[in-house]
Amino acid sequence: MPPPPLTGLGVAVRAEGVAAAYAGRMLGTLGAEVLWIEPPDGSPLRREPPFLPGGTSAIFAYCAAGARSRCCDLSREDGRRAATALLAQSDIFLDDTPLADRAALGLDEATIAARHPDLIHVSVLPFGAAGPKAGWKGADIIVQHAAGEGYLLPNGLSVELFPDRPPVKIHGHFGEMQGGIAAALGALAALRARGQVGGQYVDISSQDAMLAVGAFAIQRLGDGSVEHRVERSFRYGGVLACADGYVELLTLEQRQWDGLVALLGHPAWAQDRALADGLERSRRGPELNRHIRAWARVRKVADIVREGQAAGVPLARYYTPGDVVGDPHERARGLFSKVDVAGAGPLAMLASPFHFDGAALPLRAGPPVLPAEAPVA
Amino acid sequence: MTAPLSGIRIADFTVHNAGPFATHLLAQLGAEVIKVESAMRPDAFRKPHPVYGRMGPATFDQVSAGKRSVRINLKKPEGAALAKRLVALSDIAAESFRPGVMARLGLGYAALRAARPDLVMLSISSSGQTGPDAHFAGYAPLFGAWGGLGQMTGYPDGPPVEMRHVMDHTVGMNAAVAVLAALHRRTATGEGALVDVSARAVAASLLGEALLLAAAGTAPQRVGNAHPRMAPHGVYPAAGEDRWIAIAVASDSEWRALRDLVGDRALTAPRFETEAVRHAESATIDAVLAGWTARHEANALAARLQAAGIAAHASWTTPEIAADPHLRSCGAILAVTEPDGTGRAAVGVPVRLSKSSGSGIHRGTPRLGEDEDHVFGDLLGMGRDERQRLEADEIIY
Repeated sequence: MPPPPLTGLGVAVRAEGVAAAYAGRMLGTLGAEVLWIEPPDGSPLRREPPFLPGGTSAIFAYCAAGARSRCCDLSREDGRRAATALLAQSDIFLDDTPLADRAALGLDEATIAARHPDLIHVSVLPFGAAGPKAGWKGADIIVQHAAGEGYLLPNGLSVELFPDRPPVKIHGHFGEMQGGIAAALGALAALRARGQVGGQYVDISSQDAMLAVGAFAIQRLGDGSVEHRVERSFRYGGVLACADGYVELLTLEQRQWDGLVALLGHPAWAQDRALADGLERSRRGPELNRHIRAWARVRKVADIVREGQAAGVPLARYYTPGDVVGDPHERARGLFSKVDVAGAGPLAMLASPFHFDGAALPLRAGPPVLPAEAPVA
Repeated sequence: MTAPLSGIRIADFTVHNAGPFATHLLAQLGAEVIKVESAMRPDAFRKPHPVYGRMGPATFDQVSAGKRSVRINLKKPEGAALAKRLVALSDIAAESFRPGVMARLGLGYAALRAARPDLVMLSISSSGQTGPDAHFAGYAPLFGAWGGLGQMTGYPDGPPVEMRHVMDHTVGMNAAVAVLAALHRRTATGEGALVDVSARAVAASLLGEALLLAAAGTAPQRVGNAHPRMAPHGVYPAAGEDRWIAIAVASDSEWRALRDLVGDRALTAPRFETEAVRHAESATIDAVLAGWTARHEANALAARLQAAGIAAHASWTTPEIAADPHLRSCGAILAVTEPDGTGRAAVGVPVRLSKSSGSGIHRGTPRLGEDEDHVFGDLLGMGRDERQRLEADEIIY
């Protein structure tokens, strides 16, 4: 079995927020050696709730798993020297220090480039390092709304039930994590070019990354249609309430519709020949949904999903986090690794969504405690 | 200076969204991406999808721009052989069929590796190539449901929310990262790789902290726009119909700045100096705050709040984003010209490099088979007679 793909790569991380931290996590789970450079009182991410039993921040534990940590007080000369020594051993540096604070800490683009000509220096900020909003503060909810997806949520059944409420964001740190994924992408793209151009500066904006994954709203604008959460519903299917939970139903292909009719037991309303046409089904979506919802409401999720998938109908249970952790499929694929988390003991933690060469990528360790190792002076 | 992936060639068998977006990002970073379809089985996204309530091709242009297009009928053995000739000249083969389809076509990893020993093969599927659910059919809202993201998103007293295209595209961006990691190893060791990306695992990876809480014995619940610590934190009405502003107050000093801007006596109670109290009484504070925000234009108010050190942004509509001069100037929004001369906006690769240039979209959506002279002629060295015969035999079809 070949080694994990980024074996031997050194990544230094200075992260206050999730985006830069998540980029480090991605590179680490792909095999890189990740080293957090933390202030003496630790990264602020260590203090973000919710906390695990024993007091470790769940989001810090998730993002820093497998990393090592060194404390460097960058407000002091010896701390800056220590950080310079650590960066000299690194291939990639991920940093989300606010732009205005960087020069005083020796972390500005010019200083880093002069001292470390082969380093890939990745700046990760909510609005990037250039432009009128470079100094603006962000948070996940800010990123989601600055990039347009926030305005478009909720959709489907949720907006149907609550049309007058404010838009609602995607759970957790979705927008910030897009910044992190883009930072990992940019870092590895720059690494590929290093042989030709040496190290370089990679400017990542979580707003841009979130906007990129929302691509189709921009695309459709070019088609002349402006998306809105109230209209952004599948004409039929979508979120269905069942007797004991929710399922998602989406039939895009004709054979999937045929499978759905079979799953429903070939009811009389579905025998209408006009419904053989996808366009007609689209036009009569609300009518179809009344039938489908009435059918689902008295049935159990597990039965619908089992019978539906067997009939080739795309159906999924809305899993709770506990369902995902206990899911036999994910267990079979090795999605979770048992790692030690201070105060909580060994916990199953999601490792990586990738398999390489037929095997899961395991986590090497839990998050580093503070101080994990003696401060570098 | 060149684009960072110049010199990398991708034989692209991906369909729908997640896979094509992965190779689209790599194309924007400079890779030559050759999209393989056939007239018999074009990418489903070249076709209209009435379930979306629209008859134009759904979203094909965004994820196909910048790619080359050839026709190969993979259903015929000679078609598979032709595909292998293309893979032999490629660094990466990418596909997003259901698990087992490529192997049935004679194009599984073992077969392609025989054609190209150091090949990086990317397979994207809803549940991964292995495991009891590997055969499941799925689209973005289903990945989001399986991964737990849908359940955790929405109003606390409402149903779960279906994830839309952002779910597909984050799968694609994740896959692009994994492919670059595999290329890095190939450079270091000469070894290719089989990269298996499970879309539902990507969805789950975006709530890893909630999964960890569940593993520790708690049951995380949907909280809507609330934050576990920050208060105020949410989406508030702004002046005008369906206008909103997102605000996140991260510290006591930011709270004091906000309180002073609002200038409402109801917010001056000393107990609100404490974050925990603000969090517990957020409904009271939010009602006052919403009354104030509703009197202000969203963009101007966001600028005022940011000037006072408070994280805020207008809830931007798509037309506002497309018109933003900064997003245009930095390449987050690109102007693309289609082969028929029409222009449209597209999103760029969200990576700005100081020394590499040439990233972005340099041509629009390819017509089916548009690049066969280059690919079959120049790259594979096929003569006119051979191509005509393969067309007559419905191999190039």
